Formats: sequence, C-alpha cells, structure tokens
Amino acid sequence: MLLFAAMKGGTLRDLLLFPAATLLLGTAANLIPGRHLPFWGQGQTPPAEGTDFSWLDVASAETMVTALPNVVILDSRGLDAFAQSHIAHARPLPLPELDRLLTPELETTLRQADAVILYGDADEADVEQLLAQALRLRGLAPPYILVGGYPAWEGAGLPVETGEP
Amino acid sequence: MSWLRNPWLHRLLGLALGAVFLYAAHDKIVNPQALVTILWGYRLLPTGPINLVAIYMPWLELLVGLALLTGYKRRAAAIWACVLLATFITALLIDAIRGLNVACGCFSTSAQDVHNAWLLVLRDLPMLAAALVLTLAPRSGGK
Repeated sequence: MLLFAAMKGGTLRDLLLFPAATLLLGTAANLIPGRHLPFWGQGQTPPAEGTDFSWLDVASAETMVTALPNVVILDSRGLDAFAQSHIAHARPLPLPELDRLLTPELETTLRQADAVILYGDADEADVEQLLAQALRLRGLAPPYILVGGYPAWEGAGLPVETGEP
Repeated sequence: MSWLRNPWLHRLLGLALGAVFLYAAHDKIVNPQALVTILWGYRLLPTGPINLVAIYMPWLELLVGLALLTGYKRRAAAIWACVLLATFITALLIDAIRGLNVACGCFSTSAQDVHNAWLLVLRDLPMLAAALVLTLAPRSGGK
C-alpha cells in the first residue's frame, strides 16, 4: 500500500534517494577512526561500567544480601576453585562455560532477582566484566561486580561454603 | 476527511515528526557502538547484520527527520518514516509478547534505559499514525 502510494505520487525516485544518501553517509561516517564498526558481525565493544555492570564493594554487597530477599551471586572462577570454596549460596558461572551453565532455569532466576552479584578471584575483574557484558547482551539486567572478588569477601570474614553447587 | 489534506496539518505533522526523528538519530549517530548493544538486547537479529543496522539506520533516521522538518521530499520521507516506525513497533511487539522489557534505543543508546515494551509500542503508534497521514493523504494544493 505504501509502495502504491509512492508510485502514485511519483515519489519512487525520491524514495530511492534516502537509502542512497544513507549508504553514502553511513559508510563515510563509519570510516572515521574511533567510531568504526566492522560492517558484518556484532563488533567488539569493551564492557563499560554503567552500561554492562556496576561496581560493588564488599560492605555494600553484604548489606544487599542481607536487605534484599532475592539476590543471586554468581562465581566466575573455574569450577575447581568453586568446589574448593565459594561465597555462601553462590552459583558457578565461568565465562567459558556460559552457554552450558546459563540454563533457561538460571536465566529465569537471574531475571527475577532483585540484584545479581558477580565475583572472581582478583581485583582486575576483566573476566567478570566480559561475563557481565555477555549477560547484558542476552537481555539481562546489568549485574554488580564485587570489588576485590572472592578474596575480599573471605577476608572480611563473611560466610563461605565448600562443595559442588 | 479533507482536513487530513490540510497543508497546515501536514506542515505541523512534518515538523513534529521530523523533530522526533532528528532527536532520535542524534545519540545513535554519536554512539554507534552503544547501539550495537541495544540491538543485541532485542534478541531478534542474528550476529551478522547487527552492525549494518547500527551503522546505517541512524543516518536514515537523520535524513528522514531533516526531510520532514524542511518539507523537502516530505512524502518520500513520510513513507520511510512509516517503514521505520512499523519495523520498530514490530520489534517491540515481539519482545513485549516474549515478556522482554528492552532498552529500546529509541531516543538514547543507554542500555539502562529499560522500559516496558508494551508502553513503547503505545508511544510509537501516534507517530506511525502521523506518518501514515503524511503518506496516504497528500496535502491539497501540493505534492
């Protein structure tokens, strides 16, 4: 119907001007350094605080776990490290195992959570940031990343447990 | 329904819709990388074409907005506005039915700007109606 309207009004040529100009402008703009995206694929956008995750210190994390009824804690370390010890009630979710471990059930749990806290084993938290971004890209709310990771939690004398999930 | 062909109505709708499209295009043109994240959040497109959409769609919005605002090639711009809005509404409807509340990327590329998808559909419908008027009811005394 829209095409008919276009042809009737003699605007078909005008109509084609828009994608032509769009192609020109979009391609030119995409060549500008600093804002270039690969033309095909999802691109590589580094994880960003605010967009993909928020930082959370240990004291705030403890308050959150105490105050909110439904906080999900995710352990991004390897499964061996998780089995040795982990934050109480945490669930393992190492980035390389994401596709296998992020079951529909866990995804639903994460969607229903009041907050999701990710932790790893170091201050750098590069892997946690990538994991947070991966969760965001799957449509989940941006999680919190625990500053200092597991050592900070354990060092503060907060509850940990051992064993398989 | 001759009032739908009133030139002043067309000018007014063109100005309003054009301003909305220009405003919507601004943040996406500035932050194409962030738009990629938003598009991912819809969980509709496969990996391949996501960047193409992020690269080109904002410029189409900009051109449509400029044309509607200035009146230059207004009818063609209105047709593209219909196409864009119908696409947005379809995407939002699909996510609304799936129960996903998305960061729509409508006016900002903030991934935290999450809204109820049904409300976003309702917000887009008046704009589609305006674009349809500009498309299907050519103003009297002109193209």
